[in-house]
Amino acid sequence: MSTPAAEHGPADGIAARARGLTKAYGSGETTVLALDSVDVDIARGRFTAVMGPSGSGKSTLMHCLAGLDTVSAGQVWLGDTEITGLKDRELTRLRRDRVGFMFQSFNLIPTLNALENITLPMDIAGKKPDQEWLDRVIDTLGLRERLKHRPAQLSGGQQQRVACARALASRPELIFADEPTGNLDSRAGLEVLGFLREAVDGLGQTVVMVTHDPGAAAHSDLVLFLADGRIVDEMPRPTAEAVLERMKRFDVIRAQSDPERD
Amino acid sequence: MLKATLRSFLAHKGRLVLSALAVLLSVAFVAGSLIFSDTVSRTFDRLFASTSADVTVLPKEDLETSVPTGAVQTLPASVAERLTGVEGVQAAHPDVEAGNVTVTDEDDEPVKPVGGAPTLAVDWYPDERSVVELTSGRAPRGDGEAVLDADTAEARGVQIGDTLSVQAQPGTFRVEVVGIATFTTTNPGAALVFLEPRVAAERLLGSAAKATSVSVEAAPGVSDAELKRRVAAAVGAGDYEVKTSDEMARSAAEELGSFLDVIKYVMLGFAGIAVLVGVFLIVNTFSMLIAQRTRELGLLRAIGADRRQVRRSVLTEAVLLGLVGSTLGLAAGVGLAFGLIRLMGAFGMNLRTTEMVIGWATPVTAYVVGVGVTFVAAYLPARRAAGVSPMAALADAEIAGVGRPLRARAVAGSVVGALGLAALAGCVAATETSSAASLLGLGVVLTLIATVIAGPLLVRPVIRVLGAAFPAVFGSVGRMSQRNALRNPRRTGATAAALMVGLALVGGMSVASASMSRSVDQQIDKTLGADFVIQNAHFIPFPAEVTERVRGTEGVGLVVRQRFAPVAVRLPDGKRIETTAAGYDDRVDDVARVTYEEGDTAAALADGHIAMDAGFAEEHRVRVGSTVPVEFPGGKSAELTVAALTDMEGGEGFGMTGGLFLGIAAVEEHVPQGQDSALYVNAAEGTGPDELRRRLEAALEAYPQVQVRDQADYKELVHDQIAVLLYLVYALLGLAIIIAVLGVVNTLALSVVERTREIGLLRAIGLARRQLRRMIRLESVVIAVFGAVLGLALGLVWGLCVQQVLALEGMTALAIPWGTVVAVVVGSAVVGIAAALLPALRASRMNVLAAIAHE
Repeated sequence: MSTPAAEHGPADGIAARARGLTKAYGSGETTVLALDSVDVDIARGRFTAVMGPSGSGKSTLMHCLAGLDTVSAGQVWLGDTEITGLKDRELTRLRRDRVGFMFQSFNLIPTLNALENITLPMDIAGKKPDQEWLDRVIDTLGLRERLKHRPAQLSGGQQQRVACARALASRPELIFADEPTGNLDSRAGLEVLGFLREAVDGLGQTVVMVTHDPGAAAHSDLVLFLADGRIVDEMPRPTAEAVLERMKRFDVIRAQSDPERD
Repeated sequence: MLKATLRSFLAHKGRLVLSALAVLLSVAFVAGSLIFSDTVSRTFDRLFASTSADVTVLPKEDLETSVPTGAVQTLPASVAERLTGVEGVQAAHPDVEAGNVTVTDEDDEPVKPVGGAPTLAVDWYPDERSVVELTSGRAPRGDGEAVLDADTAEARGVQIGDTLSVQAQPGTFRVEVVGIATFTTTNPGAALVFLEPRVAAERLLGSAAKATSVSVEAAPGVSDAELKRRVAAAVGAGDYEVKTSDEMARSAAEELGSFLDVIKYVMLGFAGIAVLVGVFLIVNTFSMLIAQRTRELGLLRAIGADRRQVRRSVLTEAVLLGLVGSTLGLAAGVGLAFGLIRLMGAFGMNLRTTEMVIGWATPVTAYVVGVGVTFVAAYLPARRAAGVSPMAALADAEIAGVGRPLRARAVAGSVVGALGLAALAGCVAATETSSAASLLGLGVVLTLIATVIAGPLLVRPVIRVLGAAFPAVFGSVGRMSQRNALRNPRRTGATAAALMVGLALVGGMSVASASMSRSVDQQIDKTLGADFVIQNAHFIPFPAEVTERVRGTEGVGLVVRQRFAPVAVRLPDGKRIETTAAGYDDRVDDVARVTYEEGDTAAALADGHIAMDAGFAEEHRVRVGSTVPVEFPGGKSAELTVAALTDMEGGEGFGMTGGLFLGIAAVEEHVPQGQDSALYVNAAEGTGPDELRRRLEAALEAYPQVQVRDQADYKELVHDQIAVLLYLVYALLGLAIIIAVLGVVNTLALSVVERTREIGLLRAIGLARRQLRRMIRLESVVIAVFGAVLGLALGLVWGLCVQQVLALEGMTALAIPWGTVVAVVVGSAVVGIAAALLPALRASRMNVLAAIAHE
């Protein structure tokens, strides 16, 4: 980890933290451990990437940290709030007010225009957006000309930029991006990664991105490597080559330990 | 391919449940009405065939009228004697049957059937054709004794030894119940009082020498037809009707048939509504299933299925749905018929459910309707499915809500709509009731079709307005629900259309009935001047004693009698018109305001005179002073001089073509067996209306068949008659709403499935379950209110046109029941909320992660 893990509760500079986070699917002999007692701290104001092969549990980790999924054991904090044990209503409010999301595809509500999509979490909460901040986000992402467009009138890259703006608009404590470049061509992908970088560096946001693209991971400050439900490694100041090298080793280990698996 | 179709059908069975339910309802009503009417007509065919004599001689049927006069047609009882000697006649017996009686018990309570069937007083003549057999007590002997049927005795708590009053046309008499007779056949619902034959003729017809018919039995070896020929020859075919038992059964069945037809048409009306509304539901279901399966269908095309195979696959699914729905519907129809038969029991008509008749036509019709409807409804979606390109399998699934252009609809909708409006305009402009009515019918059908076709085009503008306040009131939840409703106008249009059909009907009928009520009110205000009207709620005439009692009541100043006579007038233009003439006492001006174009009341009511409506007179080239031959029942006729022409709105309504009226003395002379139909009463100087009413009610206590009504009561009586029509419409509406709700539920449920990812996303970024439910509810409300607004708009237009047609019949007032309109709009919003309950719950229960991960 980049930061030394404190023994109890979140310390300053930590946006989210998990202790002994375990997620199991099924029961008895068919139990599959998606997350196996994971301890993780997400540093505030940093861009963290979570990498790992398919089935490593990286999406599950993100879902648990974001309050989208329940945990089987362990604790998760978002800032000072322990979110494990919260009821659906509280979790919903927490996601609405304190977390931003970007998904791989289908990020926008097709019936709403770009601006309405961007302010949707605040509209749902019945809050007025901070106009100055909103303008800054919109200008940073270059969406000023597209605000009245419906998603169907936007390109894939533009759609992801709107999603990014929505995630940033309410100034959340943490932004989760799940394969945000997965459906984009490389140029649009690079653009989105640049914006996420800019969100951290220029706007002081905290971003956690799940990806399996070493090139995407290279834009982050820190890469966490997940395999078989555990954090097996981390890499500060990553480069695409280094991440690729690291990923190749998983394939080797995997091929050796479990030749049956795909 | 068939295997793939079957798999797909089974895989989507949940989504087809509501469509199957719609098919089920339509088929159930079709099958139920067929089974019911088959059962009833079979039962009655048997009853009439077994109870009619080989040959029956009846008085000559002549003038018939829909307005009851209280007279019974008779023939001389001696006809029976004359026939006894005729060759081939085994026996001839005069029958007495009077339907114009009222029977009361010692407390002056009516002893009548539970339902609306008549009370019949008949002669006691037990033979193998009798519908009853004596089950306790003994047969009536001589004057003052009677036997009552067991069903009525039980229903009214009458026992042997009780005394009953029988009010017959010649006079009221008292009888002791000496026996109880039980129906051996189906009880058609009438109450029967049996008297000794001679007593029956004297007391009911006024003379032992009269009979109402003569039953003739054939000697062995003589056929009914042969017997009829001989009997006719013996009695003189021109003077009497002679009918074989088959002919009797047929005419009885025809009479009953008109009553059964009402039930049958009501049921078929329900079936029609169910089919019509069901079609929208099925079209929507298949369209949505196909939209959701675009990739799957693309894959089928990509791996080599041709268009025809894809289309056939969808249609096969539809046929399977139709088969399942029809089979269940057939079963439900049997249940429905069973229920109806039981219901008839509650009205005194005891049919046996074990003798339910299911003819071959019933299942055939059921399957033709069920499968046919689903096939037709699925045809367009199936064609669309066949049009899916193989590329669809590769491309990203089409985003729901991408609509194809509605140009074709716009064109078809405007053409049909223009035709419909032209027909309605023609109806408004028409001056003849019959042509106006047919233009109205055409206009209604065409405008309905046009609205259904153009519905999707109206979705955007109307819902923009309806949902305009939503974003302001409900924030982004409101905005999304409004836009969701706008998303696929075709789907929203079809869903709302189901509701629209029902509400258009209600709108139109409400305007029509409110206008009718108001017109009648105005007419009553304008024409009725009497303090009180005494009459039967069903306008059935009453015995002369009522009139005598009213005349004898203290404080009564003036009594004007009204009496009806069936007549046929031969007019100068050569037409012979059968209608009903009214007879009045002289001082009719004191109880009614009649406006004359020519002449006055005194001239109209004078001996040998008659008055008629001015318009009618003009049409048939009658002038004041014209002499018209008028035929009365029983071959009587008179030459009457037209002495006055009236100018009255509504003077011609209800079987009173021509608005003929004359002095009551002429009616008494030409229809000697008639009874008074109404008494118009004015209080004497110095007597208050409340006081007079109390006295009249006391005087008429023994005559429960008549009531004392002032103008307000009289209006209410007429309103109640009109309301019966409305109840039927409301029942139809009820069914239409049930199916429309199914349609909304169906659309929302499928939309929720379609929008799984969107809902997941909304939940992920923080939309609470409650907000999600509200979003779906609001969408549902918008759709429902859209349907209601469209339906009511259409219904109001129809109503206005109906009112124009009614105006030709003299009902000129226009009333729009705004209360009903508002109630329907509010009600439809409630319907929308109710319809959204399950889909909203389902959406809110959706697993956020599964929704996001959905691929």
